[in-house]
Amino acid sequence: MSSGKVTVRGQRRKKNHTKARLILFGALVLLLILAAIFAETLCPYDPNQQDLSAALQPPGAGHLFGTDRYGRDMLSRVIVGARVSIFSALILVAVIAAAGTLIGMICGYIQGAADSIIMRIADICLAFPGLVFALAIAAVLNGGVGNAVIALAVISWPKYARIARGQTLAVKSSEYIAAARLAGSTPLKILFCHILPNIIGPVLVTAMLDIGTMMMEIAALSFLGLGAKPPTAEWGSMMSEGRSMLQTYPWTVLTPGIAIFISVVLFNLLGDTIRDYADPGNGSRQG
Amino acid sequence: MKKRKSALLLAAVLTASLLTACSPGAQEGQEETAKSEGEAQEKTFIFGDTTFNAENGEADINPHKDSGGWPCIRYGVGETLFRFSDTMEIEPWLATDYQNPDELTWVITLRDGVTFSNGRPMDAEAVKECLDALTADHERAAGDLHIAQITADGQTLTIRTEEPVPALINYLADPYGCIIDMDAGISEEGIVVGTGPYQAVSLETDTRLELVKNENYWDGEPKIDRITVRTISDGDTLTMALQSGEIDAAYGMPYASYPLFDNDQYTFSSTATSRVFFGAMNYESEITSDPAVREAIVLGIDKESFVKTLLGGNGYPATGVYPDSFTFGGEAVREDSYDPQKAAKILEEAGWKDTDGDGVREKDGKTLTLRWLTYPSRQELPLLAEAAQATLGDIGFDVEINSTADHNSIRVDTSAWDIYVSAFVTAPTGDPEYFFNYHCLDDSAQNDGHYHNDQLEELAEELSKTFDVQKRSELAVQMQQIILDDNAYVFCSHLRMTMISRANVTGLTAHPCDYYEITADLDIN
Repeated sequence: MSSGKVTVRGQRRKKNHTKARLILFGALVLLLILAAIFAETLCPYDPNQQDLSAALQPPGAGHLFGTDRYGRDMLSRVIVGARVSIFSALILVAVIAAAGTLIGMICGYIQGAADSIIMRIADICLAFPGLVFALAIAAVLNGGVGNAVIALAVISWPKYARIARGQTLAVKSSEYIAAARLAGSTPLKILFCHILPNIIGPVLVTAMLDIGTMMMEIAALSFLGLGAKPPTAEWGSMMSEGRSMLQTYPWTVLTPGIAIFISVVLFNLLGDTIRDYADPGNGSRQG
Repeated sequence: MKKRKSALLLAAVLTASLLTACSPGAQEGQEETAKSEGEAQEKTFIFGDTTFNAENGEADINPHKDSGGWPCIRYGVGETLFRFSDTMEIEPWLATDYQNPDELTWVITLRDGVTFSNGRPMDAEAVKECLDALTADHERAAGDLHIAQITADGQTLTIRTEEPVPALINYLADPYGCIIDMDAGISEEGIVVGTGPYQAVSLETDTRLELVKNENYWDGEPKIDRITVRTISDGDTLTMALQSGEIDAAYGMPYASYPLFDNDQYTFSSTATSRVFFGAMNYESEITSDPAVREAIVLGIDKESFVKTLLGGNGYPATGVYPDSFTFGGEAVREDSYDPQKAAKILEEAGWKDTDGDGVREKDGKTLTLRWLTYPSRQELPLLAEAAQATLGDIGFDVEINSTADHNSIRVDTSAWDIYVSAFVTAPTGDPEYFFNYHCLDDSAQNDGHYHNDQLEELAEELSKTFDVQKRSELAVQMQQIILDDNAYVFCSHLRMTMISRANVTGLTAHPCDYYEITADLDIN
């Protein structure tokens, strides 16, 4: 009797703890997104304005994060870089999650030859090393953030398609789907009004966990010269520009690097917490 | 329990010992030790170079192909009949003398006692075979040299040209003029047999070149037994390789890394060169075919700041084609300096106005977008692109940078760019004719922007027939002024070339021609 009470109290404590983490990480991510939205207002200097007479100044009162080789204020570029880095990752994840889920739902619902063909295409995409494939696509498309997002989207949708397909197959045979069908619902209505709301949870959790990964992949493409083009401030390209100065003027690499690190950690922690919150039984992931 | 712990510990130690003994690292270590014992008497030298690669036309060391003559002469494999002194005066090398009895005839006396590294004597017949192959195979040599006939007699070589070639001796000092043994041929790897202090034994394009001492060298005994030239295209990798002692000297070090080596453990060798960073305007483009736009570009690039800050002072702002070390270079020509206000005014008067307030000018529905094509293998070029993007942006240009290793295939498509910015050694032969022949004339190999000026063509014709050095200088000045007045090109800076070596390396000296590096003087202590 007392053991049961302890378990219920422990679960409640865990739930409260998860909720607190959700609020904390949610607030921090929201802060990050707001900073990205209002980047231009927050910037102390024009992020693209060169001042060669002030080149490579170390972090100090005038320039909190120092300046780069063109005399541009690093703090301003890191803030503005957040917009490109975070929003391109968010757009990318939204696109691949939406497209992958749609494809997966349709495949799971209709099955047959189309399902087989599309899933084999997905298998082919999954068989390639992701970043290498994205590099090739980005190179063909001639670089740029937009093209880097397209390149990563081309290789990243199958994961969502597989999740959505599996979930659709599981709920498709449910009684409420059969009832909807008997009630004369069209396949479109069944897919979007009955199946989608029931499978969206795992997709959303996966998407949240993917934001950090995608942010790093976009930064990697930019670092390799296939992402943002100059003078666009983007964290990966900023690191690439500064890499020859890592030993001599380390702030040119460390400031965008730390920005990537903090953002990725925050998005990953938020994703983890959302998953824990949505699935409190998954004790192994509890912090 | 204690016994069990001891047994486990013993097993762990034995396993670790076994793994260590069997690991490749251990074998390598043993081999290294044996090797180093065997090579205790041998002097080795490892040179890192960012530019020895196929992208720069240096896939191998065959002087008859692309820019293969550069690594051939740079790394001490090949030598030319004539060479340049430290003041870029022509002087004999494999030849001892020449005479020019008439405008079409050159009689060259070859040095006695010179042999190729395989032991074959270098006589007039061997040189004839080499020059015949050169003019047959090299895309530029035949057009430069205009050789009609070569006759060989002992150590006397007589060259008869189809037309007067006043700069023939200079052209023979070009890296493509390395004298190689055509009997030995050119290996599949692109290895040739020359007369230099070192002979190539293996080559892997874009990776490494292995050299050994030429035991038959005619001009003193080379001091190093084995040399490895490593292609390290990434500047950061080159920096770390020199820091870690993986290489002994480096060419192409990023300027940002210089402070790391500015101490007693390293030596810098620097010199001014005629390598210029310049932009060629595209006369087929809707944007740069407008003279006002070209003038604004020239006025809108801040060369002084580029050199001072971005190159860390390792260069010289350029006025014209040649640096001021040449009589026909530097201040001999006039060009307007950075003047953004004047540039903006010129654009305004030409009808380029910012009507929508977005900072970019428009005219007749076209925006002033400048497609800037360049490449990253010369570290200065992307820096110049981004610096110009900012200063030209201030006067209403929208500069789109395309910095790509694939520039050679793009530059031939005039619809793909407005300005092509590259690096080029303008006077590798110490003579002014080379740059114009290569870039500015109707039949130039690299007149990618299709520039044409009638007067320039006439002066080029006159230059090609003028033997008097003073007169050649005057013509070169006039020709430079024409292309500058047309704003057909913008010359941004000349390179100060630097090699950095460990302090125990001696005899590695930067030369103004940029292609004498490894010589018999090179030593390591």
